[in-house]
Amino acid sequence: MSNLWNHKRGAARALLQLAGALTIAFGGAMPAANAADSYWVGVTGPLSGQDAQYGEQWKRGFDLALEQINGNGGINGRSLDYDFEDSRSDPRQAVAIAQKFVDDKRILLELGDLSSGASMAASPVYQRAGLVQFGFTNSHPDFTKGGDYMWSTAISQAEEQPMLARYVTKGLGFKKIAVLYLNTDWGRTSKDIFAKAATANGAQVVAAEAYQPNEKDFRATLTRVRSAEPDSIVLISYYSDGAQIVRQARTAGVHTPIAAVGSVYSPKFLDLGGPAVNGVYTESNFFPGDPRPEVQSFVQRYRAKYGAEPDTFAARAYDAMILASEVIRRYGADRTAVHDGFAKINDVPSVIFGKFKFDPQTRRVAGARNLDLVVKDGKFALWDGVSAVHAQ
Amino acid sequence: MTAWFDYTINGLIVGNIYALLAVGLALIFGVSHLINFAHGSVYMVGGFIGWLCLTRLGLPLPVALVATIAGCALLGVVIERIGLRPLQGAARIAPLLATIGISFVLDQLAQIVFGPDPRPVPSSLPEWTLSLGGATLGSLDLLIAAIGIGAAAVLYVFLRFTRLGWAVRATAQDRDAAQQMGVNVNAVNQAVFAIACGLGGLSGLLVGMYYNSIDPAMGFQATLKGVVALLIGGLGNVPGAIAGSLLLGLVESYGVALFGTSYRDLFAFVLLLAFLVWRPNGLFSSSRRLPPEPLTGTFLSNRKAVRIPPRVIVAVVALAFVVPFVTPSAYVLQTLTNGWIYGLLALSLTLVAGTVGQISLGHAALLLIGAYASALLSVNLGWSPAVTIPLAGLITAAIGTLLVYPSFRLRGHYVSIATLGIGEIIGLVVLNWDSLTRGPVGITGIAPLSLFGWQLTGVRAVYWFTLAVLVLLALLQVRLLRSHLGRTWRAIREDDVAARAYGVRPNRYKAIAFACGGLAAGIGGGIAAHLYSYINYQSFDSQVSILALTMVILGGLGSVVGAVAGAIALISLPELFRFAADYRMLIYGVILLLLVRFRPQGLFGAV
Amino acid sequence: MTSSSSAGADILFDVRRVTRRFGGLVAVDEVNLSVARGECVSVIGPNGAGKSTLFNLLTGIDTPDSGSVRFGGEDVTGMAPEQLAARGVARTFQHGRVFGNLSVLDNVLIGAHARLAMTRRGWPVVGAFAEVLRALIGPAPVRREEAELRDEVKALLARFGTRLAPRIDEPAHSLSYANRRRVEIARALALRPRILLLDEPTAGMNESETAEMLELILELKRDGLTILLIEHKLDLVMRLSDRVLVLDDGRKIASGLPDEVRNDPAVIEAYLGHRHVGAQAGRNETAAA
Repeated sequence: MSNLWNHKRGAARALLQLAGALTIAFGGAMPAANAADSYWVGVTGPLSGQDAQYGEQWKRGFDLALEQINGNGGINGRSLDYDFEDSRSDPRQAVAIAQKFVDDKRILLELGDLSSGASMAASPVYQRAGLVQFGFTNSHPDFTKGGDYMWSTAISQAEEQPMLARYVTKGLGFKKIAVLYLNTDWGRTSKDIFAKAATANGAQVVAAEAYQPNEKDFRATLTRVRSAEPDSIVLISYYSDGAQIVRQARTAGVHTPIAAVGSVYSPKFLDLGGPAVNGVYTESNFFPGDPRPEVQSFVQRYRAKYGAEPDTFAARAYDAMILASEVIRRYGADRTAVHDGFAKINDVPSVIFGKFKFDPQTRRVAGARNLDLVVKDGKFALWDGVSAVHAQ
Repeated sequence: MTAWFDYTINGLIVGNIYALLAVGLALIFGVSHLINFAHGSVYMVGGFIGWLCLTRLGLPLPVALVATIAGCALLGVVIERIGLRPLQGAARIAPLLATIGISFVLDQLAQIVFGPDPRPVPSSLPEWTLSLGGATLGSLDLLIAAIGIGAAAVLYVFLRFTRLGWAVRATAQDRDAAQQMGVNVNAVNQAVFAIACGLGGLSGLLVGMYYNSIDPAMGFQATLKGVVALLIGGLGNVPGAIAGSLLLGLVESYGVALFGTSYRDLFAFVLLLAFLVWRPNGLFSSSRRLPPEPLTGTFLSNRKAVRIPPRVIVAVVALAFVVPFVTPSAYVLQTLTNGWIYGLLALSLTLVAGTVGQISLGHAALLLIGAYASALLSVNLGWSPAVTIPLAGLITAAIGTLLVYPSFRLRGHYVSIATLGIGEIIGLVVLNWDSLTRGPVGITGIAPLSLFGWQLTGVRAVYWFTLAVLVLLALLQVRLLRSHLGRTWRAIREDDVAARAYGVRPNRYKAIAFACGGLAAGIGGGIAAHLYSYINYQSFDSQVSILALTMVILGGLGSVVGAVAGAIALISLPELFRFAADYRMLIYGVILLLLVRFRPQGLFGAV
Repeated sequence: MTSSSSAGADILFDVRRVTRRFGGLVAVDEVNLSVARGECVSVIGPNGAGKSTLFNLLTGIDTPDSGSVRFGGEDVTGMAPEQLAARGVARTFQHGRVFGNLSVLDNVLIGAHARLAMTRRGWPVVGAFAEVLRALIGPAPVRREEAELRDEVKALLARFGTRLAPRIDEPAHSLSYANRRRVEIARALALRPRILLLDEPTAGMNESETAEMLELILELKRDGLTILLIEHKLDLVMRLSDRVLVLDDGRKIASGLPDEVRNDPAVIEAYLGHRHVGAQAGRNETAAA
């Protein structure tokens, strides 16, 4: 009998201890009341999970930017720092992190998330609380419609895809295009916009195949696409799947010219694709060969610090951090001032955009430019203006 | 016409790759009646070992191949010794969960050590190709085919003509008898694991070379496909595994041909389910067999379930309601609210897996159905969440039960595989059914929670609402468990043949359990949709299913209180450890392993 | 003592020429059997003779390849076990299959499942829904039925003296082997069966336990219960049975009154011929008969 009683007491005690621990722990997890010496920026992005590689690139860009900012005296004498919380690019996590940042009074603005889906899930939280959500890689056209606290330097697909369409139709002469695209919201939206723009330019989309992000084997897809007799292929892919498709296409004897959207622009595309990716056309709003001084300075310092070539993700992250620091410096270190500053800021040197300002209506950057590129001898190079050889 | 020849060759090539994995799985199943869910992780490790040899150590290809086989064979031995042998006497589900835990740990370790980026694997083979119709075969295709056939041949000879091979076959047929005949079954198990994992690792390297890419996430998909092929060929049947793999490759290829690339996986899982329903014993199955009688003394001898006095429970629940006054931090409340939502999923799973014994590996799909149902009803028809959430619960109950119904005749491993397949199919259908679900774009702008016009915008209001729903459904579940349904469900779990002999219709009661569980999970999904304001097909995926299972085991299979406790422990507590986020999955894997090994009845064990 | 009656209404099981093959092996070969109400019929035979298989065929766990099974005048060939349970066929299993993690009380309560109003089938989906509502709401008729059932089960357990009643809330796996088999019988009785099929009820029991079981079965017989029994212990068979059926290699080789069968040369031959094997294997073989 007493044994039974001990059982019950033991269980009750354990439960109460658990409850107590939770309360204390959560209480303890509250941020410190007084701000540290630095100014803080919150970052949401993938540090683990399938997109973790992009988070890594972001960190490199951020760190490089902070080196520069803090090395030059910081913001009015105080250093700038960032708190990178792992969202795994997952909407659920993004929402939880949003709540955390909103509660943390040190955070002046938020950068991220990688994907539009994750960002848009969190937008209501930021909007309600009055904390700027600054996206720089999420390209869903609807992102900034979440509210006036949503700002983005990501080129929306609505702008980027027509540029790609113009490159491939007017520049390269593609007429009967087969489009292979990632079956995600980004891929889907992009494909739709691209197809519309390409058709408006007089080309024809003869095939459109969606594929899963974890797809490895594209031969059946390529066979399927081949039966539509395209004279060219356009890939709406990231660099790893893009490289796979190109490799397998060339091995399977598909020699039609291939163009890909700017997200393949990365040294990893060359690594994973090997010699097969020579001759692939792409474009980028960031290119290390761009002679502009701010680009060169960024590229040299990146090479020196990391021993590798930077890609778009690192460049954008760098830009975003520089912009964030400028807004804080010029307009004030509180959330409302930051919000107002976004509308007014201009003349910030940007690796991606040259000098730019936001369009206060769309809260995006107006007038992005793209460089047309091609892969030559295992490296990205500027396109030489020669139209692509047509397949029979 | 040539296109179809193309597809056939492609299908065979892909099937060949699956075969390398499926053979290993079949071997392992044969001797230990265990589906090694960690096989894909071993395959991935093999890829990395090979990569290390080729790039970092600069070894020639044959040496790298041998090193990979050896390394993975060793890993297989370790897995068997540490992960599985201690679970010899435990319930059948324990090794299954242990391998899942091991796969989490291996995958996460690889990601932490090597980073998530895919990396190229240099192939030093000559670059010649062969054209067959419209298809081209490269040197690597031929190497893989050669190794596949070679391995099968060597295995055949080994099993047929060597003493160890006979010992393996004897153990596979009847472990106890073999042991009595003097076979060292432990050594046999180790040998089989070594062989199977060595083969798995080798295939990882070959595939890595083939696609010029390895990454830590490549294991999971490989395991899934391997298990499908294994099942089609007949669990434990080695030649069957090869045939099943080729069939799988062909079906996938033709599926792509007919419908498009995004249907590949859907075809694979539909094939799986078709076999489970019509030919569960695989391609080469013999006629119906009776389920064997359980021998006396094979019961799960558990310590008694921890009885928590009702007063304590009431106190804790009251405490939970009071929390918003104590800690006004919105972040904490948000985290706990998330925990309540997962508590609903855990309630559902503990009923189905704990009380009724149907270990569902695809339960997160119910959350997904509920979320989409509520989201679509409110976005398309403008109905209030107060209406759409309960409706979502009912819809999920109906759809979930309907989909799982054909698998009720299955038992043991087959149930788990079937639910895994159904879960994947639901996710893929949601992805591909554009016109209904908006495909990969997902549903944006879902209205926030409101009860007939009164918006629950405050974090506190949402917290209380969700908690109240959880408490209500938990009470209902407890009531059902105490009624005649409770004992009937548990009887089915214990011995469904004996239960049938006393008039219990298993299908009816399993359906009831899934319906009740579907209701709870569907409501949870509906609340989540309105909370997150955006959902897509990846919102609740297989990782959530495994997480739910871990929660339920942590709390104690079958225990309502345990389900909620497990949910809070695994959803809310990790928020405290955000800095260790990289390690979160790793920690889950380790928790699962420790639980299964040392405390399978969890905190409040009620099995 | 009635021999097999020709009056149809009195026959409970009427089994004609049932056959069951497993691959090349014929486990049950054209067996005829009939059991009249109130009889106690034993099925005996050497190991591997097909006795348990026959039971499985009679209780719906397995389906005959040919032949017919009629119960109470109704053709039940190929019916599922649940349906046979609903018609009053109760059985115990060779190894004592109780629900290990359920209490003794719950084990026996399950026995009554088929005859309860609260578990009645009803319409396809609606009926199940109604059952859930009944369980949730617990209206007065349901509560009454449950209470009455519990009383009945407690009375049933009281028949076993102090063996089971004090352990009524213990999980069945914690009971001794003999007690588990008693729980099985209690469970079978809770069904209020028209016929009780006992598969080696005394397997693995010692002398005193066997004697107790014998007493119990005699008591059940006195109460008028029809019993079909598989048993190896021939002295038990002689004491209990009104008629005996002998199977060997799946075929019926003899049937009739116990004394007739005992002296039947074919039966002696069957046992003699197998006796060497039997003697070497020992007393308590738990063979798949």
